[in-house]
Amino acid sequence: MSLLAAEALTYVYPGGVPALDAIDLEIARGRRLAVLGPNGAGKTTLLLHLNGTLRPTTGRILLEGAAVDWSRAGLSAWRRRVGLVLQDADDQLFAPTVFEDVSFGPLNLGLGEAEAKARVEEALTALGIADLAGRATHMLSFGQKKRAAIAGAIAMRPEILLLDEPTAGLDARSARRLLATLEELEARGTTLVFTTHDVAMAHRFAHDAVLFADGRIVARGPASELLVDAEVMDRAGLDAVEG
Amino acid sequence: MTPIDRIAATNRWRDHSITEKALLGLGLLGLALTTPPWPTAVAVLAVATLAVTRGAGVPVRVWVKILAAPLGFVLTGAATLLIELGPHGIGFAADGLPRAAGLTLRATAAVSGLLTLTLTTPATDLVAGLRRWKVPAEIVEIALLTHRFLLLAGDTASAMHTAQTARLGHVDWRRRIRSTGLLAANLLPRTLDRARRLETGLAARGWNGASLAVLTPKRPVSPRRLAAIVATLAALAALGLADADGLLPMLGMLPA
Repeated sequence: MSLLAAEALTYVYPGGVPALDAIDLEIARGRRLAVLGPNGAGKTTLLLHLNGTLRPTTGRILLEGAAVDWSRAGLSAWRRRVGLVLQDADDQLFAPTVFEDVSFGPLNLGLGEAEAKARVEEALTALGIADLAGRATHMLSFGQKKRAAIAGAIAMRPEILLLDEPTAGLDARSARRLLATLEELEARGTTLVFTTHDVAMAHRFAHDAVLFADGRIVARGPASELLVDAEVMDRAGLDAVEG
Repeated sequence: MTPIDRIAATNRWRDHSITEKALLGLGLLGLALTTPPWPTAVAVLAVATLAVTRGAGVPVRVWVKILAAPLGFVLTGAATLLIELGPHGIGFAADGLPRAAGLTLRATAAVSGLLTLTLTTPATDLVAGLRRWKVPAEIVEIALLTHRFLLLAGDTASAMHTAQTARLGHVDWRRRIRSTGLLAANLLPRTLDRARRLETGLAARGWNGASLAVLTPKRPVSPRRLAAIVATLAALAALGLADADGLLPMLGMLPA
């Protein structure tokens, strides 16, 4: 059984702009999934559905086979298990310092102060930013903000972590460091789902890939095979990785 | 981000208790306002300068520059004391010079007291301090978010201004007015859009519309520093009282 799944997911933005069209998707535990496609293909909209930020126009989301509950308590339980990191870290960081910001999620889980503090320290260490704990969030570099935002999500120890363009805007070395950190998270039991435009990175890093175009999935399969297939990639408006 | 924000976040006193810094800064401000400007205001200014430059490690050049910024307003106000409207029209006031000098001293000392607090304490710590002083959580959280959004809106406005300048949007006053209007008009929807995305980010971390609680670091009061601050303020107050009682008449060139 898949950990998280979308069934016939369709979403139309207010104003009638279609974003997702009958998406069927299964996310397997422990399999890194890359979601690729051109700008406006619906990748971010999909992630926002997978943690309950957006509610589908039709279709449903299943968490371990059970349809998700859209009540406040249901959403809360869902988001404990499915974390989300937005593309722009400034959309996520709101507290004065990194430590305070990362503590926000654990406190929302109802953890006590000592346990929340331990979670924050663990997350900051995992992301390699323990030395930035007391730094003001608006004084961080772009890469540091990304790491702080991810720390804020993993401090809640989600089973699935959804990342919207995690390496966008990072230099090559920072991107490599971030991916290595994500691998360590995965080793501790977090399933990774990420959107990206970086086909080469997805080819190296992901186990599986789905290709989006115009709100539809045009292909899916193992990343090592799918992303080198020029014909299939062309259908999604992407360039294949050189074999 | 303003230079004051940057200094407040990086100075040597950043991690000192807000109680100590508030006592010192607001104490100096109070003394500057309530005691005779000579010699207390000068002493207040000296203490603030030492605290900020030697204590918190703010470069003297930066301190002078920031302290001088409001001086234009102070001098404009003081200048009005130099003249008076008499039976023969406008003329110099008899006691105008000492009164203007006294006002300038008092105002500068008061500003230095306030700056002692604001240059050593990030605005967010000040707002978080309100929580401890039992200000309702809703007000504190709105203030925190407002501060965060001001910084983000400032960054956005700065980037938009740069982009406009690069496309000759500020070459003359006519275009400057038009570009500034466009910038202001576009800043609001962008800020609202960012607010919506921030809400998404918060919801993803389990926020359900209730409190924006975070773990605030504990910065215990140092008894040694607290004693030093109280002693300094007491000494300044004694100096002010001595002067008010006329015990320093030889220094009474500048009346209160």
